[in-house]
Amino acid sequence: MRLTGLDFLFWAAGFLLNITLMVILWYRHRAKSFPFFTALITLAIVKTIVLYLVQKHGTRDSYFYTYWSLTMVDTILQLCVVYEVAGRVFRPLDVWAPDLRNSFVWLVGLSAAVALGVTSLASPPARTWMQSFVTKGNFFAEALLSELFVAMMGVSVTAGFRWKTHVAAIAQGMGAYSLITALIEAGHAYFGVGREMPAFVVLSQVRMTAYLGCIVYWIFNLSYDEQPARTMTGKMREQILELQTRMAYDLRTLRSRKNT
Amino acid sequence: MSARNSYFITAVAIFLAVNLCVAGYYYFRSRRSSRASWENLLAQLSWTDRNNISQVALDLVDEAGLPRPDGESMNLEPSELWRLIGGLEGLQVLEKNSEVLIDLAFYVQQWYPEALAIAERLRLDARELKWHVARLKGAAETGNLQVSFPFYAQRAVAAYYLMTRRVLSLYEAGNFAMLADLQRAL
Repeated sequence: MRLTGLDFLFWAAGFLLNITLMVILWYRHRAKSFPFFTALITLAIVKTIVLYLVQKHGTRDSYFYTYWSLTMVDTILQLCVVYEVAGRVFRPLDVWAPDLRNSFVWLVGLSAAVALGVTSLASPPARTWMQSFVTKGNFFAEALLSELFVAMMGVSVTAGFRWKTHVAAIAQGMGAYSLITALIEAGHAYFGVGREMPAFVVLSQVRMTAYLGCIVYWIFNLSYDEQPARTMTGKMREQILELQTRMAYDLRTLRSRKNT
Repeated sequence: MSARNSYFITAVAIFLAVNLCVAGYYYFRSRRSSRASWENLLAQLSWTDRNNISQVALDLVDEAGLPRPDGESMNLEPSELWRLIGGLEGLQVLEKNSEVLIDLAFYVQQWYPEALAIAERLRLDARELKWHVARLKGAAETGNLQVSFPFYAQRAVAAYYLMTRRVLSLYEAGNFAMLADLQRAL
Protein backbone atom coordinates (compact mmCIF):
# COMPACT_ATOMS: atom_id res chain seq x y z
CA MET A 1 0.00 0.00 0.00
CA ARG A 2 1.50 3.35 -1.04
CA LEU A 3 1.04 6.32 1.25
CA THR A 4 1.38 9.93 0.12
CA GLY A 5 3.13 12.77 1.96
CA LEU A 6 -0.25 14.08 3.08
CA ASP A 7 -1.13 10.68 4.57
CA PHE A 8 2.07 10.74 6.61
CA LEU A 9 1.39 14.30 7.69
CA PHE A 10 -2.08 13.34 9.00
CA TRP A 11 -0.65 10.26 10.65
CA ALA A 12 2.14 12.17 12.40
CA ALA A 13 -0.12 15.08 13.42
CA GLY A 14 -2.76 12.71 14.84
CA PHE A 15 -0.10 10.78 16.74
CA LEU A 16 1.53 13.89 18.25
CA LEU A 17 -1.78 15.51 19.18
CA ASN A 18 -3.02 12.28 20.79
CA ILE A 19 0.21 12.09 22.83
CA THR A 20 -0.30 15.73 23.91
CA LEU A 21 -3.89 15.00 24.94
CA MET A 22 -2.79 11.91 26.83
CA VAL A 23 -0.18 13.93 28.76
CA ILE A 24 -2.86 16.49 29.67
CA LEU A 25 -5.30 13.77 30.76
CA TRP A 26 -2.73 12.33 33.20
CA TYR A 27 -0.88 15.48 34.23
CA ARG A 28 -4.09 17.44 34.93
CA HIS A 29 -5.71 14.40 36.67
CA ARG A 30 -8.54 14.01 34.16
CA ALA A 31 -7.80 10.32 33.49
CA LYS A 32 -9.32 9.28 36.82
CA SER A 33 -12.54 11.15 36.07
CA PHE A 34 -12.81 9.89 32.48
CA PRO A 35 -11.27 6.37 32.34
CA PHE A 36 -13.05 5.27 29.15
CA PHE A 37 -12.18 8.47 27.33
CA THR A 38 -8.55 8.05 28.42
CA ALA A 39 -8.66 4.44 27.19
CA LEU A 40 -10.01 5.65 23.84
CA ILE A 41 -7.14 8.11 23.40
CA THR A 42 -4.63 5.45 24.51
CA LEU A 43 -6.06 3.10 21.90
CA ALA A 44 -5.67 5.78 19.23
CA ILE A 45 -1.95 6.05 20.08
CA VAL A 46 -1.46 2.28 20.19
CA LYS A 47 -3.39 1.93 16.92
CA THR A 48 -1.12 4.42 15.17
CA ILE A 49 2.06 2.64 16.32
CA VAL A 50 0.78 -0.88 15.59
CA LEU A 51 -0.61 -0.01 12.17
CA TYR A 52 2.60 1.78 11.24
CA LEU A 53 4.65 -1.31 12.13
CA VAL A 54 2.25 -3.70 10.39
CA GLN A 55 2.16 -1.50 7.30
CA LYS A 56 5.98 -1.43 7.26
CA HIS A 57 6.69 -5.08 7.98
CA GLY A 58 3.43 -7.03 7.62
CA THR A 59 1.34 -8.30 4.73
CA ARG A 60 -1.75 -6.71 3.20
CA ASP A 61 -3.97 -9.28 4.97
CA SER A 62 -2.36 -8.74 8.36
CA TYR A 63 -2.88 -4.98 7.97
CA PHE A 64 -6.55 -5.55 7.06
CA TYR A 65 -7.25 -7.77 10.09
CA THR A 66 -5.27 -5.58 12.50
CA TYR A 67 -7.02 -2.45 11.26
CA TRP A 68 -10.54 -3.85 11.60
CA SER A 69 -9.88 -5.53 14.95
CA LEU A 70 -8.64 -2.26 16.42
CA THR A 71 -11.51 -0.34 14.81
CA MET A 72 -13.98 -2.70 16.47
CA VAL A 73 -12.37 -2.10 19.89
CA ASP A 74 -12.43 1.63 19.11
CA THR A 75 -16.20 1.54 18.41
CA ILE A 76 -16.86 -0.39 21.63
CA LEU A 77 -14.81 2.18 23.57
CA GLN A 78 -16.75 5.03 21.96
CA LEU A 79 -19.98 3.44 23.23
CA CYS A 80 -18.34 3.20 26.66
CA VAL A 81 -17.56 6.93 26.47
CA VAL A 82 -21.26 7.57 25.74
CA TYR A 83 -22.04 5.63 28.92
CA GLU A 84 -19.37 7.55 30.82
CA VAL A 85 -20.72 10.93 29.69
CA ALA A 86 -24.29 9.86 30.47
CA GLY A 87 -23.16 8.76 33.94
CA ARG A 88 -21.49 12.11 34.63
CA VAL A 89 -24.55 14.07 33.55
CA PHE A 90 -27.49 11.93 34.65
CA ARG A 91 -26.08 10.58 37.94
CA PRO A 92 -25.57 13.78 39.91
CA LEU A 93 -25.94 11.98 43.26
CA ASP A 94 -24.27 8.71 42.18
CA VAL A 95 -27.59 7.11 41.26
CA TRP A 96 -29.33 7.39 37.89
CA ALA A 97 -31.96 10.11 37.89
CA PRO A 98 -35.20 8.24 38.73
CA ASP A 99 -37.34 10.28 36.32
CA LEU A 100 -35.28 9.34 33.25
CA ARG A 101 -35.05 5.55 33.29
CA ASN A 102 -37.88 5.03 30.80
CA SER A 103 -36.65 7.87 28.61
CA PHE A 104 -33.23 6.18 28.34
CA VAL A 105 -34.67 2.87 27.22
CA TRP A 106 -36.84 4.64 24.66
CA LEU A 107 -34.01 6.80 23.38
CA VAL A 108 -31.50 3.97 22.97
CA GLY A 109 -34.14 1.79 21.30
CA LEU A 110 -35.34 4.55 18.99
CA SER A 111 -31.79 5.64 18.08
CA ALA A 112 -30.81 2.06 17.24
CA ALA A 113 -34.01 1.58 15.18
CA VAL A 114 -33.46 4.80 13.18
CA ALA A 115 -29.77 4.02 12.58
CA LEU A 116 -30.70 0.48 11.49
CA GLY A 117 -33.46 1.77 9.21
CA VAL A 118 -31.17 4.21 7.38
CA THR A 119 -28.38 1.59 7.20
CA SER A 120 -30.72 -0.97 5.64
CA LEU A 121 -31.19 1.37 2.67
CA ALA A 122 -27.46 1.40 1.86
CA SER A 123 -26.15 -0.80 -0.95
CA PRO A 124 -22.41 -0.12 -1.09
CA PRO A 125 -20.59 -1.11 -4.31
CA ALA A 126 -18.45 -3.80 -2.63
CA ARG A 127 -16.54 -6.73 -4.10
CA THR A 128 -17.23 -9.09 -1.20
CA TRP A 129 -20.05 -9.45 1.32
CA MET A 130 -17.50 -8.83 4.07
CA GLN A 131 -16.61 -5.43 2.61
CA SER A 132 -20.30 -4.56 2.31
CA PHE A 133 -20.95 -5.68 5.91
CA VAL A 134 -18.02 -3.64 7.26
CA THR A 135 -19.07 -0.50 5.34
CA LYS A 136 -22.66 -0.77 6.58
CA GLY A 137 -21.49 -1.60 10.09
CA ASN A 138 -19.31 1.52 10.20
CA PHE A 139 -22.17 3.73 9.05
CA PHE A 140 -24.54 2.16 11.59
CA ALA A 141 -22.08 2.66 14.47
CA GLU A 142 -21.40 6.31 13.64
CA ALA A 143 -25.08 7.09 13.03
CA LEU A 144 -25.99 5.51 16.37
CA LEU A 145 -23.23 7.37 18.24
CA SER A 146 -24.23 10.73 16.78
CA GLU A 147 -27.88 10.11 17.68
CA LEU A 148 -26.99 9.13 21.23
CA PHE A 149 -24.96 12.30 21.80
CA VAL A 150 -27.70 14.51 20.36
CA ALA A 151 -30.35 12.66 22.39
CA MET A 152 -28.31 13.06 25.59
CA MET A 153 -28.02 16.77 24.97
CA GLY A 154 -31.77 17.08 24.38
CA VAL A 155 -32.76 15.00 27.43
CA SER A 156 -30.36 16.86 29.72
CA VAL A 157 -31.68 20.28 28.72
CA THR A 158 -35.34 19.19 28.87
CA ALA A 159 -34.93 17.50 32.25
CA GLY A 160 -33.00 20.42 33.76
CA PHE A 161 -29.51 18.90 34.03
CA ARG A 162 -26.55 21.24 33.77
CA TRP A 163 -23.28 20.21 32.11
CA LYS A 164 -19.90 20.82 33.65
CA THR A 165 -17.15 22.12 31.35
CA HIS A 166 -15.05 18.98 30.86
CA VAL A 167 -17.84 16.50 30.28
CA ALA A 168 -19.51 18.99 27.93
CA ALA A 169 -16.28 19.37 25.94
CA ILE A 170 -15.88 15.59 25.57
CA ALA A 171 -19.53 15.14 24.56
CA GLN A 172 -19.52 18.06 22.11
CA GLY A 173 -16.27 16.91 20.49
CA MET A 174 -17.43 13.32 20.14
CA GLY A 175 -20.91 14.33 19.03
CA ALA A 176 -19.58 16.63 16.31
CA TYR A 177 -17.00 14.06 15.19
CA SER A 178 -19.53 11.23 15.01
CA LEU A 179 -21.92 13.43 12.96
CA ILE A 180 -19.12 14.23 10.47
CA THR A 181 -18.03 10.58 10.43
CA ALA A 182 -21.62 9.44 9.81
CA LEU A 183 -21.63 11.68 6.72
CA ILE A 184 -18.28 10.27 5.60
CA GLU A 185 -19.37 6.68 6.18
CA ALA A 186 -22.50 7.45 4.13
CA GLY A 187 -20.10 8.58 1.38
CA HIS A 188 -18.22 5.27 1.69
CA ALA A 189 -21.50 3.37 1.50
CA TYR A 190 -22.41 5.29 -1.65
CA PHE A 191 -19.08 5.47 -3.49
CA GLY A 192 -17.51 2.30 -2.12
CA VAL A 193 -14.20 1.79 -0.32
CA GLY A 194 -10.66 1.36 -1.60
CA ARG A 195 -7.62 3.60 -1.87
CA GLU A 196 -7.81 3.43 -5.67
CA MET A 197 -10.99 5.56 -5.53
CA PRO A 198 -10.38 9.34 -5.39
CA ALA A 199 -13.62 9.86 -3.40
CA PHE A 200 -12.45 7.43 -0.72
CA VAL A 201 -9.13 9.27 -0.32
CA VAL A 202 -10.81 12.69 -0.09
CA LEU A 203 -13.35 11.42 2.48
CA SER A 204 -10.57 9.88 4.57
CA GLN A 205 -8.71 13.20 4.57
CA VAL A 206 -11.85 15.08 5.62
CA ARG A 207 -12.33 12.58 8.46
CA MET A 208 -8.73 13.00 9.61
CA THR A 209 -9.03 16.80 9.50
CA ALA A 210 -12.20 16.62 11.62
CA TYR A 211 -10.47 14.27 14.06
CA LEU A 212 -7.48 16.60 14.41
CA GLY A 213 -9.85 19.50 15.05
CA CYS A 214 -11.56 17.48 17.79
CA ILE A 215 -8.28 16.62 19.53
CA VAL A 216 -7.23 20.28 19.49
CA TYR A 217 -10.63 21.19 20.98
CA TRP A 218 -10.18 18.59 23.76
CA ILE A 219 -6.59 19.64 24.45
CA PHE A 220 -7.71 23.25 24.80
CA ASN A 221 -10.73 22.53 27.01
CA LEU A 222 -9.24 19.81 29.21
CA SER A 223 -6.09 21.85 29.92
CA TYR A 224 -8.06 24.28 32.04
CA ASP A 225 -9.77 23.51 35.30
CA GLU A 226 -13.55 23.56 35.36
CA GLN A 227 -15.09 26.99 35.79
CA PRO A 228 -13.04 28.57 38.58
CA ALA A 229 -14.72 29.10 41.92
CA ARG A 230 -16.12 32.59 42.01
CA THR A 231 -16.34 34.60 45.17
CA MET A 232 -19.41 36.44 46.34
CA THR A 233 -19.30 40.08 45.43
CA GLY A 234 -20.75 42.73 47.71
CA LYS A 235 -23.58 43.27 45.26
CA MET A 236 -24.47 39.60 45.23
CA ARG A 237 -24.60 39.57 49.04
CA GLU A 238 -26.90 42.54 49.04
CA GLN A 239 -29.22 40.88 46.53
CA ILE A 240 -29.40 37.67 48.57
CA LEU A 241 -29.98 39.69 51.68
CA GLU A 242 -32.79 41.57 50.03
CA LEU A 243 -34.41 38.34 48.84
CA GLN A 244 -34.17 36.78 52.30
CA THR A 245 -35.56 39.84 54.03
CA ARG A 246 -38.45 40.03 51.57
CA MET A 247 -39.22 36.34 52.04
CA ALA A 248 -39.14 36.65 55.83
CA TYR A 249 -41.46 39.66 55.62
CA ASP A 250 -43.87 37.78 53.34
CA LEU A 251 -44.00 34.87 55.75
CA ARG A 252 -44.63 37.15 58.74
CA THR A 253 -47.44 38.83 56.81
CA LEU A 254 -48.98 35.52 55.89
CA ARG A 255 -48.80 34.17 59.43
CA SER A 256 -50.46 37.28 60.81
CA ARG A 257 -53.19 36.98 58.14
CA LYS A 258 -53.84 33.36 59.11
CA ASN A 259 -54.07 34.26 62.82
CA THR A 260 -56.63 37.02 62.28
CA MET B 1 -28.22 6.44 -9.57
CA SER B 2 -30.39 3.46 -8.57
CA ALA B 3 -33.67 4.03 -6.74
CA ARG B 4 -32.27 2.37 -3.63
CA ASN B 5 -29.22 4.64 -3.60
CA SER B 6 -31.37 7.73 -3.98
CA TYR B 7 -33.52 6.58 -1.02
CA PHE B 8 -30.35 6.08 1.00
CA ILE B 9 -28.96 9.53 0.16
CA THR B 10 -32.33 11.16 0.96
CA ALA B 11 -32.57 9.29 4.26
CA VAL B 12 -29.00 10.29 5.21
CA ALA B 13 -29.70 13.93 4.33
CA ILE B 14 -32.86 13.97 6.50
CA PHE B 15 -31.05 12.11 9.29
CA LEU B 16 -28.16 14.58 9.39
CA ALA B 17 -30.37 17.65 9.03
CA VAL B 18 -32.61 16.57 11.92
CA ASN B 19 -29.61 15.71 14.11
CA LEU B 20 -27.92 19.03 13.36
CA CYS B 21 -31.06 21.07 14.03
CA VAL B 22 -31.80 19.27 17.32
CA ALA B 23 -28.16 19.49 18.45
CA GLY B 24 -27.95 23.19 17.53
CA TYR B 25 -31.21 24.03 19.28
CA TYR B 26 -30.27 22.32 22.55
CA TYR B 27 -26.65 23.48 22.39
CA PHE B 28 -27.67 27.14 22.29
CA ARG B 29 -30.34 26.60 24.96
CA SER B 30 -27.85 25.03 27.36
CA ARG B 31 -25.15 27.59 26.53
CA ARG B 32 -27.50 30.44 27.36
CA SER B 33 -28.00 29.23 30.94
CA SER B 34 -24.53 27.84 31.68
CA ARG B 35 -22.67 31.03 30.72
CA ALA B 36 -25.01 33.48 32.42
CA SER B 37 -23.56 35.73 35.10
CA TRP B 38 -25.19 36.28 38.48
CA GLU B 39 -26.72 39.56 37.30
CA ASN B 40 -28.02 37.95 34.11
CA LEU B 41 -29.55 35.10 36.04
CA LEU B 42 -31.41 37.44 38.36
CA ALA B 43 -32.51 39.52 35.37
CA GLN B 44 -34.03 36.40 33.81
CA LEU B 45 -36.43 36.00 36.73
CA SER B 46 -39.81 37.39 35.70
CA TRP B 47 -41.79 39.32 38.25
CA THR B 48 -44.32 37.36 40.29
CA ASP B 49 -46.44 38.34 43.25
CA ARG B 50 -44.75 36.49 46.12
CA ASN B 51 -47.68 37.07 48.47
CA ASN B 52 -50.08 35.40 46.08
CA ILE B 53 -47.72 32.48 45.49
CA SER B 54 -47.23 31.92 49.21
CA GLN B 55 -50.96 32.17 49.85
CA VAL B 56 -51.81 29.59 47.19
CA ALA B 57 -48.98 27.24 48.18
CA LEU B 58 -49.58 27.43 51.95
CA ASP B 59 -53.24 26.59 51.35
CA LEU B 60 -52.02 23.15 50.22
CA VAL B 61 -48.74 22.50 52.05
CA ASP B 62 -46.97 23.82 55.13
CA GLU B 63 -43.68 25.71 55.05
CA ALA B 64 -41.73 22.43 55.11
CA GLY B 65 -43.63 21.20 52.07
CA LEU B 66 -45.73 18.65 53.97
CA PRO B 67 -49.42 18.35 52.99
CA ARG B 68 -51.82 20.10 55.33
CA PRO B 69 -54.50 18.01 57.10
CA ASP B 70 -57.73 17.59 55.12
CA GLY B 71 -59.82 20.11 57.06
CA GLU B 72 -57.18 22.83 56.83
CA SER B 73 -56.21 22.59 53.17
CA MET B 74 -57.68 23.70 49.85
CA ASN B 75 -59.81 26.45 51.29
CA LEU B 76 -59.34 28.75 48.30
CA GLU B 77 -62.15 28.93 45.77
CA PRO B 78 -61.33 28.09 42.10
CA SER B 79 -62.06 31.67 41.00
CA GLU B 80 -59.78 33.00 43.75
CA LEU B 81 -57.03 30.58 42.71
CA TRP B 82 -57.31 31.71 39.10
CA ARG B 83 -57.02 35.35 40.16
CA LEU B 84 -54.11 34.83 42.55
CA ILE B 85 -52.10 32.73 40.08
CA GLY B 86 -52.92 34.79 37.01
CA GLY B 87 -54.36 31.92 34.99
CA LEU B 88 -52.32 29.75 32.66
CA GLU B 89 -50.08 32.70 31.73
CA GLY B 90 -49.10 33.10 35.38
CA LEU B 91 -48.15 29.43 35.56
CA GLN B 92 -46.04 29.74 32.42
CA VAL B 93 -44.08 32.53 34.11
CA LEU B 94 -43.45 30.24 37.09
CA GLU B 95 -42.37 27.47 34.72
CA LYS B 96 -39.80 29.80 33.14
CA ASN B 97 -38.62 31.05 36.53
CA SER B 98 -38.16 27.47 37.76
CA GLU B 99 -35.42 27.03 35.10
CA VAL B 100 -33.64 30.11 36.48
CA LEU B 101 -33.90 28.75 40.03
CA ILE B 102 -32.04 25.61 38.90
CA ASP B 103 -29.40 27.82 37.31
CA LEU B 104 -29.08 29.79 40.55
CA ALA B 105 -28.46 26.53 42.45
CA PHE B 106 -25.97 25.38 39.81
CA TYR B 107 -24.22 28.72 40.03
CA VAL B 108 -23.69 28.50 43.80
CA GLN B 109 -22.52 24.89 43.39
CA GLN B 110 -19.30 26.17 41.87
CA TRP B 111 -17.93 27.23 45.21
CA TYR B 112 -20.27 25.25 47.46
CA PRO B 113 -20.37 21.56 46.35
CA GLU B 114 -22.99 20.70 48.98
CA ALA B 115 -25.47 22.45 46.68
CA LEU B 116 -25.45 19.38 44.42
CA ALA B 117 -28.22 17.59 46.32
CA ILE B 118 -30.41 20.70 46.43
CA ALA B 119 -29.83 21.35 42.73
CA GLU B 120 -31.06 17.81 41.99
CA ARG B 121 -34.06 18.32 44.27
CA LEU B 122 -34.87 21.57 42.46
CA ARG B 123 -34.61 19.81 39.12
CA LEU B 124 -37.17 17.23 40.25
CA ASP B 125 -39.46 19.99 41.59
CA ALA B 126 -39.22 21.78 38.24
CA ARG B 127 -40.12 18.55 36.46
CA GLU B 128 -43.18 18.23 38.69
CA LEU B 129 -44.16 21.83 37.98
CA LYS B 130 -43.79 21.31 34.24
CA TRP B 131 -45.82 18.11 34.44
CA HIS B 132 -48.74 19.96 36.07
CA VAL B 133 -48.53 22.83 33.56
CA ALA B 134 -48.45 20.34 30.69
CA ARG B 135 -51.65 18.72 32.02
CA LEU B 136 -53.30 22.15 32.10
CA LYS B 137 -52.16 22.99 28.58
CA GLY B 138 -53.68 19.70 27.46
CA ALA B 139 -56.88 20.55 29.33
CA ALA B 140 -56.95 23.98 27.67
CA GLU B 141 -56.82 22.34 24.25
CA THR B 142 -59.76 20.06 25.07
CA GLY B 143 -61.78 22.86 26.69
CA ASN B 144 -61.46 21.47 30.23
CA LEU B 145 -59.16 24.13 31.67
CA GLN B 146 -61.64 25.54 34.18
CA VAL B 147 -62.34 22.07 35.63
CA SER B 148 -58.69 20.98 35.85
CA PHE B 149 -57.16 24.29 36.87
CA PRO B 150 -57.62 24.23 40.68
CA PHE B 151 -56.12 20.76 41.12
CA TYR B 152 -53.03 21.04 38.91
CA ALA B 153 -52.37 24.77 39.29
CA GLN B 154 -52.24 24.70 43.07
CA ARG B 155 -49.78 21.79 43.00
CA ALA B 156 -47.63 23.59 40.43
CA VAL B 157 -47.55 26.72 42.58
CA ALA B 158 -46.69 24.67 45.69
CA ALA B 159 -43.77 23.09 43.79
CA TYR B 160 -42.56 26.53 42.73
CA TYR B 161 -42.93 27.95 46.23
CA LEU B 162 -40.85 25.10 47.69
CA MET B 163 -38.23 25.68 45.00
CA THR B 164 -37.86 29.32 46.02
CA ARG B 165 -37.57 28.27 49.67
CA ARG B 166 -34.86 25.74 48.82
CA VAL B 167 -32.85 28.24 46.82
CA LEU B 168 -33.00 30.75 49.66
CA SER B 169 -31.99 28.11 52.23
CA LEU B 170 -29.13 27.07 49.99
CA TYR B 171 -27.75 30.58 49.75
CA GLU B 172 -28.28 31.04 53.46
CA ALA B 173 -26.35 27.86 54.29
CA GLY B 174 -23.54 28.64 51.88
CA ASN B 175 -22.94 32.10 53.30
CA PHE B 176 -23.51 31.60 56.97
CA ALA B 177 -20.82 34.06 58.11
CA MET B 178 -22.24 36.76 55.91
CA LEU B 179 -25.71 36.11 57.31
CA ALA B 180 -24.47 36.43 60.90
CA ASP B 181 -22.97 39.83 60.05
CA LEU B 182 -26.24 40.83 58.61
CA GLN B 183 -28.26 39.70 61.60
CA ARG B 184 -25.97 41.68 63.86
CA ALA B 185 -26.41 44.73 61.65
CA LEU B 186 -30.16 44.39 61.84
